[in-house]
Amino acid sequence: MEGLQFLASGFAAALSIQNLLFALAGCVLGTLIGVLPGLGPAAGTAILIPLTFKLDPTGAIIMLAAIYYGAMYGGTITSVLINVPGEAASVVTCLDGYQMARQGRAGTALGIAAIGSFVGGVVAALALAMVAPPLARFALSFGPPEFFSLMFLGLCLVTGLAGASLVAGLLMTLFGLLLALIGIDPVRGAPRFTFGIVELYDGLGFVPVVMGLFGVAEILLTIEKPFRQALATRIEGLWPNREEWKRSGGAIGRGTVIGFLLGLIPGVGAVIPTFMAYIVEKRLSRNPEKFGTGVIEGVAAPETANNAYANASMIPLLVLGVPSSPTIAVLMGAFIINGLTPGPFLFKERPDLVWAVIASFFIGNVILLFLNLPLVGLWARLLRVPYQYLCAGTLLFCVVGAYSLKGALFDVGVMLVFGVVGYLLRKLDFPLAPAVLALILAPFMEKSLRTSLEISGGDFGIFLERPISATLLVLAALIVAVATSRLAALKSIRRGP
Amino acid sequence: MKIARVLAVSLLLAAAPSGAQDFPAKPVQLMVAYPAGGSTDVAARIVAALAEKHLGQSIVILNKGGAGGQVGWTEMSRQKPDGYYLGFINLPALNTVILDPERKAAFGIDAFVPVINQVLDPGVIWVKADSPFKSLKDVLEAAKRTPSKLSAATTGILSDDHLAILMVEEASPGATFRLVHFEGGAPQMTAILGGHVDLAFDNVGSIVRRVRSGEVRALAVMDPRRSPFLPDVPTTPELGYPSVVSSSTRGIAAVKGTPASVIKKLEASFRKAMEDPEHVKKMEDAGLAMRIMVGEEYANYYRELHAKAAKYTEWARSRAQK
Repeated sequence: MEGLQFLASGFAAALSIQNLLFALAGCVLGTLIGVLPGLGPAAGTAILIPLTFKLDPTGAIIMLAAIYYGAMYGGTITSVLINVPGEAASVVTCLDGYQMARQGRAGTALGIAAIGSFVGGVVAALALAMVAPPLARFALSFGPPEFFSLMFLGLCLVTGLAGASLVAGLLMTLFGLLLALIGIDPVRGAPRFTFGIVELYDGLGFVPVVMGLFGVAEILLTIEKPFRQALATRIEGLWPNREEWKRSGGAIGRGTVIGFLLGLIPGVGAVIPTFMAYIVEKRLSRNPEKFGTGVIEGVAAPETANNAYANASMIPLLVLGVPSSPTIAVLMGAFIINGLTPGPFLFKERPDLVWAVIASFFIGNVILLFLNLPLVGLWARLLRVPYQYLCAGTLLFCVVGAYSLKGALFDVGVMLVFGVVGYLLRKLDFPLAPAVLALILAPFMEKSLRTSLEISGGDFGIFLERPISATLLVLAALIVAVATSRLAALKSIRRGP
Repeated sequence: MKIARVLAVSLLLAAAPSGAQDFPAKPVQLMVAYPAGGSTDVAARIVAALAEKHLGQSIVILNKGGAGGQVGWTEMSRQKPDGYYLGFINLPALNTVILDPERKAAFGIDAFVPVINQVLDPGVIWVKADSPFKSLKDVLEAAKRTPSKLSAATTGILSDDHLAILMVEEASPGATFRLVHFEGGAPQMTAILGGHVDLAFDNVGSIVRRVRSGEVRALAVMDPRRSPFLPDVPTTPELGYPSVVSSSTRGIAAVKGTPASVIKKLEASFRKAMEDPEHVKKMEDAGLAMRIMVGEEYANYYRELHAKAAKYTEWARSRAQK
C-alpha cells in the first residue's frame, strides 16, 4: 500500500519535538473546549486561528486538527457528569451517559467513551491513509457538475436528518443559502445585498457567524439556566468489565463504520452520525426499552461515531477541497492562509505536510487516550468552576477572536448580531446546523452550478447526463423521500389511528 | 550647479507640507490588497525586507484582502498623502474594479500615483498535455469551425485573462469561445487537468511548474518578448497577433497628493531594493517575472492600460454569454 509507505515518513515528521508539542497543545485545548459547555470546536478553532499566523503551517494544522477531534473526547465528560453536552456532537451521550453516572458508573461511561473514541479515531485515520491517495486521483473526474451534485446531496442529508421537522430543517437551509448570497456575485462580479458596505463585499465571514450562532448564543442560553452542579460522584472503575466489553464491542464497530461513511459526505456535521449510531444500536438491541436508562452501548456507539466522523471528514477536504463541517471550514481557512489549497493536488505537491498531519491523528488519539483515562478527574474538577466566570471568559475570547480575524470591528458586530439570532432560533427550536452548513457550502455550490451551466451553455441536462453526478442526485432524492416518509410516520403515530 | 538647483527646488517643494524633507520619520505601511501568502504578498515581503535599509525605516506589510482588491484600495484611497501609507496596485485588476459600474468603486484612476512597478507576469494560452490542440492556430481554426463551442477558462470575471480572450476573439474574427469563469488559478487548473474545459488563459507564473512536469502545454505567451521561463513558447506578436498583449502587473503606488520629493525618495529606495541580486534571485525562485518601471514610463503604462481595459471591460459587459 503506497499510503502506508507515505504514512511512515509522515510519522517521522509528526514525531519531531516541535510537532509533538503542537499535537499535545491541540489535544489539551480541544479537550478543554469540549469540556466547557458553550464553546464548541468550531468557535474554539476560529478563536485560535489568528494565533497560528506566525507558526509553521504543518504545526499549525496539526494543532487545529487536534483541537477538533480533541473536543469530541472532551464533550463526553460534560455530558456524563452534568447532563449538558460539552459540544453538540455529545448530545446523545447525555441520554445514557448521565443515567450511568447517577447509578455511580460514571467511570465506566467515561472509560468506554474514551476507548470507543480511540478505536473510532484510529480506524478512521487508518482508512483515510489508505483511501485518500487513490481518491485524490479519482477526484480529477469530479468536474463542476459532480461537485454541485455532491454538495446538493450533503445539504439534503442535513436538511432531512437535522430535526424533528422537515420544514424547520428546510427553512434553516434556505436561511443559510440566503445569507451566503451576500457579497460579490462570483460569476458576474456584481455586489449583492451589500447595501454599499464594502465590508460585506466578501460576504458574511462564516467564522464570526459560527462564533455567534454557536458560541455567543450558547452563552446566552447558559446564563438563563440555573447553575448545574456536577454530580459529586467518584470516578472509578474506568476499565469496563467483561460483560460490558461484550456489549460495547459491536457498538464500537458499528459506530466506527457509520461515522466513517457519513464523514465522506460534505455537509453532514458531527451530530448526525451520533444520532444514527444511537438509533442503530437501539434497533439492534434485544431490549430497546432499556435505552435511556444507562446502557453502555448508548454511550459507546455515538462516542465512537463522532470520532470516526471527525477524522473521516478530513477526506472531502483533502481530496476535493470541500469543507464538510464548520470546524473543517475553519481548518480549510488555515490551509489557505498558509498558501496551501486543499484539493486533489495537495497530496502530490505537499506530501510532507499532508502525511505529517495524517500521522499526527494517530499520535493525537494516543495522547487523548491518556488525557481522558488517567487524567479524567482533572477535567471533571474544571466543571466545578461556576458558570458566570466561564461565560465571561468565553465571551471575552469570542470578541478577541472575532476581532483578530481581520482586525475589523465589523466582524465583532456580525458575531454579536448572530449571537442574538442564534439564541432566538434555539428558543424557537430551529436546528442551527443546516443554516451553518448551507452558509459554508453555498459559495462552492453556486460557483459549481454556474460554472457547469457555462460549460453546458445553459443546459441543466449536464447534471443528469454525467453518470457520477446523476447517481449523486438520485441518492439525494432518495434521502428526501426517506426523510419525508419517516416524519410522516412520526406524525401519524402522534395523531393516533 | 545643476544638482544644487534641483536640490534647492526640491527642498522648497518639500518644505511646503510639513515634515516631507525628513521623510521617512516613522515606519512606512505597505498595503497588499490580497491575503497573506498569495503571490502579491510574497513579492511584497521580499522587496519590503530589502527596501528597509535604503529607506532607513521599517516597512510594515498590511494585508487588506477582499472583493478582488477593492477593500484594500478603498482604504488606501482614504489615507493621508504623506507617503507613510503605500499600497500595491495590481493591474488590470485595479482598472476593472474602477471601470465596472456595478462595483461602485469609491475611487478613480487618479486616486493613486504609481511609484514603481515590480512584476509583469505575461498572459499565456494553454491546454492539457494530451489535448488535440498543438498550437494557437489549431485552437483558432477549431473556434472558427464551431463558434461558441470550445470552452475557454478564465481565472475570474473581468480578470486580465477574461480581457485576453476578448483580444483573441477581436484579432481573429469569427473565432468565438464559450467563456467559463473560475475563481482563481487552482480551480481552473483542476478543471483543465480533469478534462472538463478545453483551454485556459492564465499567467506564465501560475503554470510554469506544470509545463515543466509535462502536465500542460503552453501554446502562446501574450507579450512582445518571449518569457525566460518558457523560452520555447512563441509569443502572440510572433504568431501574427500584435494586438493580443496581456499581462498582470504589480507595483507600488502612493496616495494622490503625496509630495514629489517623497515619491522620489520612495522610488529610489525601492529601485535599489529591486535591483539587489537577492531580490532578483528570490523573485526568480518564486517564478515571478520582474519588470522595473518608474517615473514617466510607469505613469504612461498605468494610463494606457486603463484606456485599453476600459474598451474591453465595456465589451465584456455587453457581450452575450454563449
